[in-house]
Amino acid sequence: MSGALLQVEDLNVWFELEGRPELHAVQGIDFDLSQGERLGLVGESGCGKTTAILAVMGLLPPTASVAGRVRLDGDDIFEDGEDSIRPHRWRDIAMVFQGAMNAFNPVRRIVDQIVEPMELHEIAEGKAARRQAGDLLELVGISAQQATRYPHEFSGGMRQRAAIAMALACNPRVLLADEPTTALDVMIQAQVLELLGRLTEELGLALVLVTHDLPVVAQTCDRAAVMYAGKIVESGTTDDLYHSPRHPYTRLLFSATPDLYGEGDVISIPGTPPRLDREVTGCSFAPRCDVAFGPCSSVTPESLSVAPGHQARCHLNDPTMRRAS
Amino acid sequence: MSPIPPTALNQDAAVAIPATVTSPRFRFLRSPALRKPATIGGLALLLIFVLMALLASHLEPYNPTVKSGPIYAPPSGAHLLGTDDSGADMLSLVIAGSRVSLIVGFAAALVAMIIGGAVGLLSGFFGGKTDMVLMRITDYVLVIPDIPLMIIVAALFGRRLLNIIIIIGAIYWTSTARLVRAQVKSVRERTYVKRVRAVGAGNTRLIGRHILPQVAPLLIANTVLTVAVAIFAETYITFLGLGDPSLISWGKLIENSFKGDAVLNHAWWAIVAPGVCVTLVVLACTMVGQAMEDALNPRLRVGHLSVRRFRLRSLNTGLSSE
Amino acid sequence: MRSADYVVKRILFAIVTVFVAITLNFVLFRAVPGDAVSALRCRNCTVAFKEIQRRELGLDKSKWEQYRLYVTHLLRGDFGRSLRTEQPVLGELWAPIANTMPMITLGTVFSIVIGILAGVISAWRRDTLLDKTGLYTALGFYSMPTQWLGLLMVFFVAGAIGFPTSGIRDPTLGILVPASAGTVIVDRLRHMALPALTLGLSLYGEYALITRSAMLETLGEDYVLTARAKGLKNLPIVWAHGFRNALLPIITLIALSLGTIIAGAITVEYVFSYPGIGLATVEAIDQRDWPVLQAIFLLLTVSVIVFNLIADLLYVKLDPRVVDQ
Repeated sequence: MSGALLQVEDLNVWFELEGRPELHAVQGIDFDLSQGERLGLVGESGCGKTTAILAVMGLLPPTASVAGRVRLDGDDIFEDGEDSIRPHRWRDIAMVFQGAMNAFNPVRRIVDQIVEPMELHEIAEGKAARRQAGDLLELVGISAQQATRYPHEFSGGMRQRAAIAMALACNPRVLLADEPTTALDVMIQAQVLELLGRLTEELGLALVLVTHDLPVVAQTCDRAAVMYAGKIVESGTTDDLYHSPRHPYTRLLFSATPDLYGEGDVISIPGTPPRLDREVTGCSFAPRCDVAFGPCSSVTPESLSVAPGHQARCHLNDPTMRRAS
Repeated sequence: MSPIPPTALNQDAAVAIPATVTSPRFRFLRSPALRKPATIGGLALLLIFVLMALLASHLEPYNPTVKSGPIYAPPSGAHLLGTDDSGADMLSLVIAGSRVSLIVGFAAALVAMIIGGAVGLLSGFFGGKTDMVLMRITDYVLVIPDIPLMIIVAALFGRRLLNIIIIIGAIYWTSTARLVRAQVKSVRERTYVKRVRAVGAGNTRLIGRHILPQVAPLLIANTVLTVAVAIFAETYITFLGLGDPSLISWGKLIENSFKGDAVLNHAWWAIVAPGVCVTLVVLACTMVGQAMEDALNPRLRVGHLSVRRFRLRSLNTGLSSE
Repeated sequence: MRSADYVVKRILFAIVTVFVAITLNFVLFRAVPGDAVSALRCRNCTVAFKEIQRRELGLDKSKWEQYRLYVTHLLRGDFGRSLRTEQPVLGELWAPIANTMPMITLGTVFSIVIGILAGVISAWRRDTLLDKTGLYTALGFYSMPTQWLGLLMVFFVAGAIGFPTSGIRDPTLGILVPASAGTVIVDRLRHMALPALTLGLSLYGEYALITRSAMLETLGEDYVLTARAKGLKNLPIVWAHGFRNALLPIITLIALSLGTIIAGAITVEYVFSYPGIGLATVEAIDQRDWPVLQAIFLLLTVSVIVFNLIADLLYVKLDPRVVDQ
């Protein structure tokens, strides 16, 4: 989509390991994000989703190398590496980290940490900045008077919300949220999700929500991309993925979620994801797939469009493959 | 000088061993920290000195207690390290000195290990009142300046070797105690210990069979570091004239060079040799002890910052462009 | 808030510890085999004189009586009389204290500044040649006995740079021509230089090692990743988040190392015949001048207690989590 706010093209990440072959953690993923859109990035732990969004902001450790393009309003911000990315951090793209509990520096006040990026990017400073910080906290449901407290004085849920407030400090257009509800109890989870939903509507924020928790995706996101072993295996609207999945993994994933009313069977997917330090021939899901056939173990499936806005990486969608087998 | 082993200070912060180390207790021996050339070098050095001490009487070219050459003779073919202010061979003196220095080092460290280990064990295992009382005592002992105390006790109670060993041990047990206490506390909380206790195992059995083995490796690592501290302390006490006058140790040799005006006589060999030995042994103990502690307390930290920048690769060739 | 409570608690603890130290001091010196006076080495010590001393020191009274006397005298500032000079001990000690203070300050400041600098650079350039060199140099100096380092200085360095190696003043200064304040100060400084340098080199290793290790720890924390995500450049992150948080263990070390500093000072003064408290200690031991020794020991212990208290209070300011433990 040419009008997209954020375009990620062919993003690859490799990790150097001591004395072992490289780990190919992210293997060529693409996705687009438009203003106000909410995209869920789903998958099991270790599938590369956190690595992918860290890569988008250039936040990976030095043992990582990255390839691909990340376009913001059409400009490739990856072009000059760190130098071209840094000016965009927090101003255009901000992040809420997994375990935001620790994202705060324990010896500095909350307000100072929210003001820090404001002053850095020259959005505001001094008193004005502190007042804005207070407003942001109110926006996420924390009284502005609490701003002068220290992180350890906030509860887990409050810290998570404060982290969201901090992420909004410079009015970013894209918010990357990495597992924002993990390790929070259900009531707080609901609050945080509702908050995120509201913010995208009120502020026109574009959101990428990384999670392994499907009900969260179903509830909060318009579109979703399913990741497996470093690749996006299916992407489309949440409706599409829920009701007409075109990749076996998606189907199994969505049906592995326990049904609250206890009507369906809980199916967990047997087996484990493949190692990412070895080349895989064929489809990486094939060993665990319940409908794998002929070409699956020898030919790597490409991403095919099965409907407008709905892509899947599976031979079952390819009539030529089925005929050939 | 009391070099406090650096990691011991962080013990109150970095309290527990991460849950990943629930593996067999000797797995740490495979850790990369122990394979570093520095560690192996340190171990080799220690081995050399220990052998030197054990085989001292066989290695000495001359009898170190008698005059075997001119006073303050420079190094030569006959006397590889020259002679001291009474004409005795420097090399023999240094070799002979290794015995006392190392004995004091290891013995005092042993004393510190026993006291510190016991205090830490009781404190960590029983908690509550025992813990509070023992930690208070530790606090008080920590506050007293170590060298002055040792000086005074040595001055008051005599300069025998045994006294020196006991004094050193009685002062330096505190960091060991803290370390062991933290360890015991974390081990005590592990589920399998709770299970064993639920089955009705008595305290002694619990400590002996389950807790002690988990604590032992770290205790030993810390003791190695204490050896360095002990050898240091011995050189201090001896230098100030409070060492056992009948024994040769490296500390004594340094003292001799000072008292015997080695500087005025330009006899650098009398000064350099014993000091180098002490430095090397202390260095070796520090590195080995440190490496052991690192191996047991792995800090699996990825540094988020680095000088190296973000690395981009071109897609087709997969080659790095930075 | 509760920090006031904490402060009060720590001050009380310090006071109690001082009393413990006083008692320990008393016990230690009364526990001498034979009594203090019998081992006295002095020129005019006839048996009668020793008897007079004994009575004066109150050694003919019961232990409790002696203790009471001791404490009440202390509180009045009366530390007894030197057995050697028969002058009040405190008066004898002013000059040595005045000599030692600047020398120790010089040496300690040097070691802290150089140590922290070396540690930060090492942690910053982790695993490079710079790091390894810095590390081994620090370890090397840390492993050298202070007196040995002093002797090496005297032997190799003093002559080369023409600095004096003993005493605190040039005896020829001011004899032929009155010496100006400037020349006197320079003279003092020149005499202080080598002892302070030796002390500094002996001590810096420890600070370098702990700084490096603390910095490595903090630089791996999540809040550093957050800071990077906000778009901060490396240097501000190292300072405001890395170093600021690493200060806590560093300050702890500095406070705890007063004992080491004292030990170093004693040795250094002995080697350089520098007329300070350290040399006074050694001389007192030599001459079995117990009252002087006792007073020095008490002064040193109380100094350590005071330093620890200062560090505790500083810690409260630096780490807001301490109070709530």
